[in-house]
Amino acid sequence: MWTNPNLRCLLALAILCLTSVVQSRESGSQGDPQNLKCVTHNLHKMVCTWDISSKRRHGQAEFCYTTNDHLPRCYKTKEKRVEIPVPESSITVKITTYSISGTAFATRRFEINKKDISFVPLAPHILSLTPDFSTFTLTLKWSDNGSAFPYGLDASWEIEVLRKETMEDVTRESYNSKLTHEDVIHSWKWKSDMPLECTSHYVRIRLYINVTQFDGHKDWSDWSPVEVIPGKDTEPSGSGLFPQDTVVAVGSNVTFCCVHEEGRQVQRMSYGAKDYPLIRLSSRSSAIRVLNANASDASGTNIVCRMSENGMDGTVLFVGYGPDIPEELSCETSNFVIIKCTWKPGRASGLYGVRGTKYSLIESISGKNVSCEVNEMKKERVCGFPVLADQKTYSFVLGVSNPIGQTEASLLVDLNQRVHPETPEKLTVSGNSSTSVRLHWYINGSFAEIRLLCQIEISSAHSEQKLHNVSMPGGRFSTYTAQLNALHPYTKYRFRVRCSAADHFWRWSGWSGTEEHTTLEAPPARGPDIWRERSPSGKSLRIFWKPLSLSEANGKIVSHEVSCYLLEESLEYKEVTEPSNSTEIKLGRNDCVISVVAKNHAGSSPPSRITSVELPSDNVKTDRAVAMGNGIYISWNSYPNMTCGYIVKWCHSSGSEPCSVDWQKFPSNTTDAVIKSALFRPGVRYNFSLYGCKSSGYQLLKNITGYTKELPPKRAPNFTVEETSSDSILVKWEDMPIEDCQGFLEGYRLSFAKGEKDALKPRLLESGNPELKVKNITDLTKKSLKILDLQGKTSYQLDLQAYTAGGLSPPNSLYVVTKEDSVGLIIAVLTPVAVVVLLGVVASIFCYRKREWIKETFYPEIPNPENSKALQFQKNICEGNKSLKTLEMNPCTPNSVEVVETQSAAPKIEDTEMMSATTDTTVPEDGSDSETENHVVVSYCPPIIEEEISNPPMDEPVGLSQVVYIDIQSMYQPQIKPEEESEIDLVTTAGYKPQMQLPVSALKIESCSPAEEESDKTAGYRPQANTNTWNMDTPDSPGSVESNNENASFGSPCSINSRQFLLPPKDDEDSPKPNNTGWSFTHFFQNKPND
Amino acid sequence: MAAPRVVPFVALLLLQRRPVAGRALLGTGSTCPTNGLCRANVQEQTRRQVALLNATAQDLFSLYLKCQGEPFSSESDRLCSPSGIFFPPFHVNRTTERKEVMVAMYKLFAFLNASLGNITRDQEELNPTAKELLDRLHNTTKTTRGLISNLTCLLCKHYNIFQVDVSYGESSKGKSAFKKKQQGCQVLRKYVQVIAQAARVLLPHLSPA
Repeated sequence: MWTNPNLRCLLALAILCLTSVVQSRESGSQGDPQNLKCVTHNLHKMVCTWDISSKRRHGQAEFCYTTNDHLPRCYKTKEKRVEIPVPESSITVKITTYSISGTAFATRRFEINKKDISFVPLAPHILSLTPDFSTFTLTLKWSDNGSAFPYGLDASWEIEVLRKETMEDVTRESYNSKLTHEDVIHSWKWKSDMPLECTSHYVRIRLYINVTQFDGHKDWSDWSPVEVIPGKDTEPSGSGLFPQDTVVAVGSNVTFCCVHEEGRQVQRMSYGAKDYPLIRLSSRSSAIRVLNANASDASGTNIVCRMSENGMDGTVLFVGYGPDIPEELSCETSNFVIIKCTWKPGRASGLYGVRGTKYSLIESISGKNVSCEVNEMKKERVCGFPVLADQKTYSFVLGVSNPIGQTEASLLVDLNQRVHPETPEKLTVSGNSSTSVRLHWYINGSFAEIRLLCQIEISSAHSEQKLHNVSMPGGRFSTYTAQLNALHPYTKYRFRVRCSAADHFWRWSGWSGTEEHTTLEAPPARGPDIWRERSPSGKSLRIFWKPLSLSEANGKIVSHEVSCYLLEESLEYKEVTEPSNSTEIKLGRNDCVISVVAKNHAGSSPPSRITSVELPSDNVKTDRAVAMGNGIYISWNSYPNMTCGYIVKWCHSSGSEPCSVDWQKFPSNTTDAVIKSALFRPGVRYNFSLYGCKSSGYQLLKNITGYTKELPPKRAPNFTVEETSSDSILVKWEDMPIEDCQGFLEGYRLSFAKGEKDALKPRLLESGNPELKVKNITDLTKKSLKILDLQGKTSYQLDLQAYTAGGLSPPNSLYVVTKEDSVGLIIAVLTPVAVVVLLGVVASIFCYRKREWIKETFYPEIPNPENSKALQFQKNICEGNKSLKTLEMNPCTPNSVEVVETQSAAPKIEDTEMMSATTDTTVPEDGSDSETENHVVVSYCPPIIEEEISNPPMDEPVGLSQVVYIDIQSMYQPQIKPEEESEIDLVTTAGYKPQMQLPVSALKIESCSPAEEESDKTAGYRPQANTNTWNMDTPDSPGSVESNNENASFGSPCSINSRQFLLPPKDDEDSPKPNNTGWSFTHFFQNKPND
Repeated sequence: MAAPRVVPFVALLLLQRRPVAGRALLGTGSTCPTNGLCRANVQEQTRRQVALLNATAQDLFSLYLKCQGEPFSSESDRLCSPSGIFFPPFHVNRTTERKEVMVAMYKLFAFLNASLGNITRDQEELNPTAKELLDRLHNTTKTTRGLISNLTCLLCKHYNIFQVDVSYGESSKGKSAFKKKQQGCQVLRKYVQVIAQAARVLLPHLSPA
């Protein structure tokens, strides 16, 4: 539509007309000046501008203004703008417009009051905008142009920060200042929340001056031109992950940006192991924001940016803590050369290496400072500061800083009060005395201005540790000396020393090394403690002395001088060298005063004296002493005439050596004592002798015996059986040696009970035998005991024990068998014999009278088996074996016995009733005909010996004899081939039946087994002898050599026809013993077949 | 990533600098100063040193990754890819002439010695508390030094080679902490691969005849 030129012209014309109408309405007339505005930028001058109502070309304009007091001033201008001073009051302005040709168009007057003037400062000018990329900080600098304004005006600045290419507003902050009528450069810092490399940052500023006296309108200046800090994403090759190696405090929020090359894309960014959502900053920059960062590891937390095309970049953030305030800051000097300050760092910063905490020590009085090299791995930090000349007071400030922050601690010290001397060294000991030494030591330090207090530790093996303090003036790297007196002679001392400041104690130094020194010898301090004893013969006197203690000997005792004086006359003199502690002097019956002197290399001790006189004693008693603790309590009566005390003497015996005398002296007012000795042993008897001391000599007052602790006797007394009867035993025992008693013997205990000697049996007292009887013998004089009310011919165990207050000894045991009661035995034997004889006589008489009845009833005549064809045995069978009585034909009288063979009827006792033979039947050789026969009549030879048979022979074919033994356990039944079984059955049905009557009980037992029951139904031949007695070594037995054959029939009787061993003996079931040879009489008494 | 700046450096048996990097230079006319210092069992000792390095390399690498923090352990393939770093070529096999193997080994361990020194220094700064890692790095560096000494001896004794040009990798000094970590990771990863190959190759060449 707008392409048509006619339409364009019409539209332009319409707009022109409309504009003219409007202008004519505003100005009223052509060329009128209007809209006069006056603005001041500096309160000195103002710029007045106006418009002209006509758009016609015009020439100059004349601007005239008149104040109340002055003449008008006029300016000609072409710009519709004049700059005139800011009037102090209202002014009248006349503006005349001229055409180009110089003709006046119009003139207009304006009244300008002060309130009509606006005050708008000029836009500030930014001097510089400086980035600090490491701290994400922008520093803005500008001039306030204060020289243009009156002094003291309040200026407000507004600074705006923008970001990204789109210049998004980030922050707008105010900055206030006061104008000082000078041009002042102001600086403003702003820390960005993201690295400045991430994207471009822009800054602009504007100003507002609050002029209170100014009546007109006041307004903000225009914004200054923006200053820009371009991001890395604006650089053509700029890339990277920012910030790099930054350190922040725990809990900080950190933004990381990944700037990459054009064309790539950021895929993901991770902080540690976690991915964070991406924030797009520009086409080449993306960021993540991590809030409340946790403390990182020592090596920092990795931030990785993964980009397309396998691009990857990373950075490390170190998150830690600011330095903690040092704790326990302390400064001291050990040598007045270096002041050593120590402190504890407090909470660890978690930052190491170049990011670790740095310390510096500043002395504010002198203004000197030192940086401290500290080991981060140690808990306590140390820093040295040199001692300054002529300065005793130091004001230390320990500055602590790390990348996160800084702190400090301060300390004011008077160095003289903080002296901790170096450890003394080179300690030496010298001395040529028995009681004093000199010590020398060196301290590395300059202590000239203070006094030192040194402490010497003195210790020896035989005395308590002592500390000796010595104060001395300090020196410069000096050796110090101290003398120690009142030492003990001949004593090995160990010395060490430490020092501190004497006037202001702070700390002791360390102890020096230990030095040893032995003082010289001195004469013994006193004479030895002595005692004497006369020999049993009374002709010699043995003098004893105790060794002096180390503190008394004052050296090594080399000998003792022993002298014997009688009225100042020396009767005897001896020098006894160590280590003897006694000597003997032959006095005869004389007495003297003995003097003993101990000698060492330094001299002799004062003499100890004792008289040899022993006063007679009457009725010396012997008491028992009581053990008390680890000693023995002894008491005695007070003897007023014992003026010089009491002596308790005893003797230590150790094995085979003669006992060594020991004694203890007590003052005369003592009546009891606890005698203690390291040599006392429990269970050992000690004999004490109490002597009283008079001026004229010593008198034995009483003897005491005792134990420090009573123990059970070592053993029981030996005892023997003196006499034994059928109801009593007399035992006797011996006295026990004292050393075996181990206490005061209180009695014996005799225990006895029935029992035989058996090493495995427990002891009598431990067995808990209810028949145990105990006799307690408390009369120690009794050495025998008769035990009564015992049983005859019975073994008894006797235990004898001795006992003390310490307990029972182990028992001594004896086993005694009481004698037999012969009369009772005789009666016991004769009585049943007489009864048996009597019964025998009665029975004999009875049998004699009834002999015919008995014969008919129990012993009828038996037919001769020789007359039976079935039993016509060849006479030469089994010849030579006399023991096979069963098979002997003579002197049998053959009878015919009918054996009824029925399958259903069990054998009954009645079946054994003898029947006369009606038919003589010969047993067929093969038995084939026997199947149909029910009755078999065989010849029968009655057994000579009746046997109670419990094991019926089992069915067994044996060769061609066809004789079947039933009474054998089924387990020995030979393995029969199936095709042979029917044949066997035929044989068994035609077997031979014994005519003897089997015991009922045996039959009952046999009926328990079905197999055996079956066997019973068959009436085979029963051997009439005990199978156990068969000789297994029968020479003709084929199975005798094949022991592994279960069917071997060694030991079985030979059959009549075959002479084969047919049945194995039951005894051979487990262990075949080939010694069962022949018959034994005892077999006839056997009740059990297995036996 | 910019290609590694290979600093041509002459590692020296004679401790003299030569401006080229390349093949071992055979000594002509000169004598090896270490000729008399070879021990009798130097071959066996060398083989054991390589075997020891091979046996400990993987553990060292794993511990290194662990001490650098995530994602070094989980993304070691990407972060520690040795493709962008310099590593001396080690193109020898069991059929390579023994002398060339020795020279290649010398170059390899000379490079490793310097790289381990850089890694140790960086880790002492970054991980001063990782005592085990630092101990392993120190021990590996010590073994490498001993190995270089033995290789020097062998080269001199058998081939009269008294100078070998070697190249060291880019120094990590002045780099960012992440770059230090990454460079160490790249070198150690490559080291694990190459030391295994070196152990295989070295076995027949240094086995007792």
